[in-house]
Amino acid sequence: MRIWIAISIAGLLAACEPPRQQAAGPAPAPAEDVEIPAGPQPTHWTSDGNIGNGGGPVTEADLLAGAADPEKWLHYAGDYDSLRHSPVDDIHRGNVAQLQVVWAFPTGTRHQFEVSPTVYDGVMYVSSSDNRLFALDAVTGELFWRYDHPQPDDLRLCCGRVNRGVGISGDTVLMATLDAKLLAFHRLTGELLWETTLANYAHGFSATSMPMIVKDMAIIGIAGGEFGVRGFFDAYDVETGERRWRHYTVPAEGEPGVETWAGDSWKTGGAPAWTSGAYDVDRDILYWTTGNPAPDWNGDLRAGDNLYSNSLLAVDPDTGERLWHFQFTPHDVWDYDGNTHLFLTDVERGGETIPAILQPNRNGFFYILDRTDGTFLHATQYVEELNWATMGEDGRPIVNPLAKPAEQPDYRVCPSNLGGMNGAWAGAMNPDLGLVYVPSVEGCQLYQKGIVVFVQGQQFTGGSPITLDVDEGKAHGNVVAVDKNTGEVRWRYVDEHPMMAGALSTAGGLVFTGNQSGHALALDAETGEVLWRFRMGGGVRSQPVAYRVRGRSYVAIGSGNHTGFSRYAGGPTNLPEGGHLFVFALPE
Amino acid sequence: MSAVRRVPATALGLATLCALAACTPGEPPSPADALRADTVALTRGEQLFTGVCAGYCHGLSPGPRDAPYLFDCTWVHGDRDADLFRNIADGVPETPMIAFGGQLPEGDEDIWRLVAYIRSAGPENC
Repeated sequence: MRIWIAISIAGLLAACEPPRQQAAGPAPAPAEDVEIPAGPQPTHWTSDGNIGNGGGPVTEADLLAGAADPEKWLHYAGDYDSLRHSPVDDIHRGNVAQLQVVWAFPTGTRHQFEVSPTVYDGVMYVSSSDNRLFALDAVTGELFWRYDHPQPDDLRLCCGRVNRGVGISGDTVLMATLDAKLLAFHRLTGELLWETTLANYAHGFSATSMPMIVKDMAIIGIAGGEFGVRGFFDAYDVETGERRWRHYTVPAEGEPGVETWAGDSWKTGGAPAWTSGAYDVDRDILYWTTGNPAPDWNGDLRAGDNLYSNSLLAVDPDTGERLWHFQFTPHDVWDYDGNTHLFLTDVERGGETIPAILQPNRNGFFYILDRTDGTFLHATQYVEELNWATMGEDGRPIVNPLAKPAEQPDYRVCPSNLGGMNGAWAGAMNPDLGLVYVPSVEGCQLYQKGIVVFVQGQQFTGGSPITLDVDEGKAHGNVVAVDKNTGEVRWRYVDEHPMMAGALSTAGGLVFTGNQSGHALALDAETGEVLWRFRMGGGVRSQPVAYRVRGRSYVAIGSGNHTGFSRYAGGPTNLPEGGHLFVFALPE
Repeated sequence: MSAVRRVPATALGLATLCALAACTPGEPPSPADALRADTVALTRGEQLFTGVCAGYCHGLSPGPRDAPYLFDCTWVHGDRDADLFRNIADGVPETPMIAFGGQLPEGDEDIWRLVAYIRSAGPENC
């Protein structure tokens, strides 16, 4: 025992040493009294691996349990049902006002800080814009290891240099990158285990979402809907990086659905798969979603429904084969990506309990579908204003012809191309209350159609929105609480700016989120009343998480938005950029 | 690189007549000068800009963004018509702005229409 203690103390001391640095390229060994020549900056700082609480590798059982154990937050949405509901209950309505900062950490990067931190074994894994990855002590914020991904100068991005978090399985942490790679790191040392290229970034591909771990695979989808890519999502062996399957979201010649694309327009059809999905463990069905057909705002050359853009896809996780689909916005000409948050839950309808999948879609409708076969059950309007369509009884929207893009547009179309909700942030659900929490943008636009020209690697939009409500100061935000059974709106928290941060529900009866004025917020889950507010400074674009270590509960929220994007949506333009993670707890 | 590439035939004469006052002495007239008075050319320039350049890049509304807003008299990579033509045709190194030379349906004429539209849609005397 004494020897074991001695070894442990030595190990602990070693863990306190600064992380080792690894340079991006050859760097001369510095020596005292010698001028150090300018060279490549370090981009990788590893650890000796003596970190964490000895939890061992992340198992499939851990992943299946999801957030049931509050010491773990392993998935983007906490669990495979994708509810973003934490069992942390000792922070509640009665004491949330006492939350205080226990540590904070800077990312050193600009642009939107959209991470959903991953927590395991007392370690928090935080990715930032520009694909920095930090392993931090979840209790103290001490930096264990760090990786800064070297980026090309000519990335092809529509909407910011963002990343929404890392997946974890076994001893492997996985991050997708803006230059369309998937990287695997050892969770304890930070050493790069393997990397693979998903696609050629110069052609308009990028990857921003958290890889989703299913069985022994990492599922990752591609972005690039504004560049006329052919969308896809892939499954990779977590251990080796070998690709198991690829699911193209636009059918090729001879495949079912290609008839929904005029001529050869499928070749540049878009339908990116840029967010994480959900997984029905009992039925072994993986759900993934797709974004807009390309070009975004001129559909003249792609007549037809443009399958499988803006769709929910149910696939066999072992093969990637499609089981069924449901298309939310056929022949989209507004950029109403179907990539928003999915919730797997049972609903009560007509005296029956139905296994359902719910989605607050970017097009402003809240959908309730049967998740066994995709049957449409119901849809309601969750945004304040919606005029681009009414909902047909079969779930197919009936388009308002006035809302289509025009060369000289004068019809104010709602919602804006950002939504409603947007796949760049998460919703949450409280299963006890049966409420789904939807942070949303409330604003309308004009849609101007232009000439379509495809140049590989160049944005392929065919038109442009005009930010009418933003320019007139009308755009604002909601957190909408929607009844999961009926789709009815129970309450709205209204903010002066669009709500573009993720939401977290907790068993303490709270909804954590943030606003573009730079505040972390805790709302009463039953009423929407603001119970706690803390000024973090930067606009909030991250996905809050809650966790517990050695009996103490924490809430982590990041701040930091991109000024241009904030302005585009109707947020402040005077707040400085810069990501910063804040971790809160009750006083000890 | 030559400041003026291939020029629309109709543009040259009009440019000579209409645009001398706007030229810096010693510089050749800009083919965009004549197109600024050509409503058909300006409409096509607007449609090209809306469909190819605006979107999530240069935009139709003011405000900060990664690609420069082009209607506020601020010119990041040169303020002459020839500079705009070059930036569109050849791209801007180390940025996502790629070369559109040879990529637009009507070649350099479309680029000059873009230049004319960008110039005419912004404030006067930029």
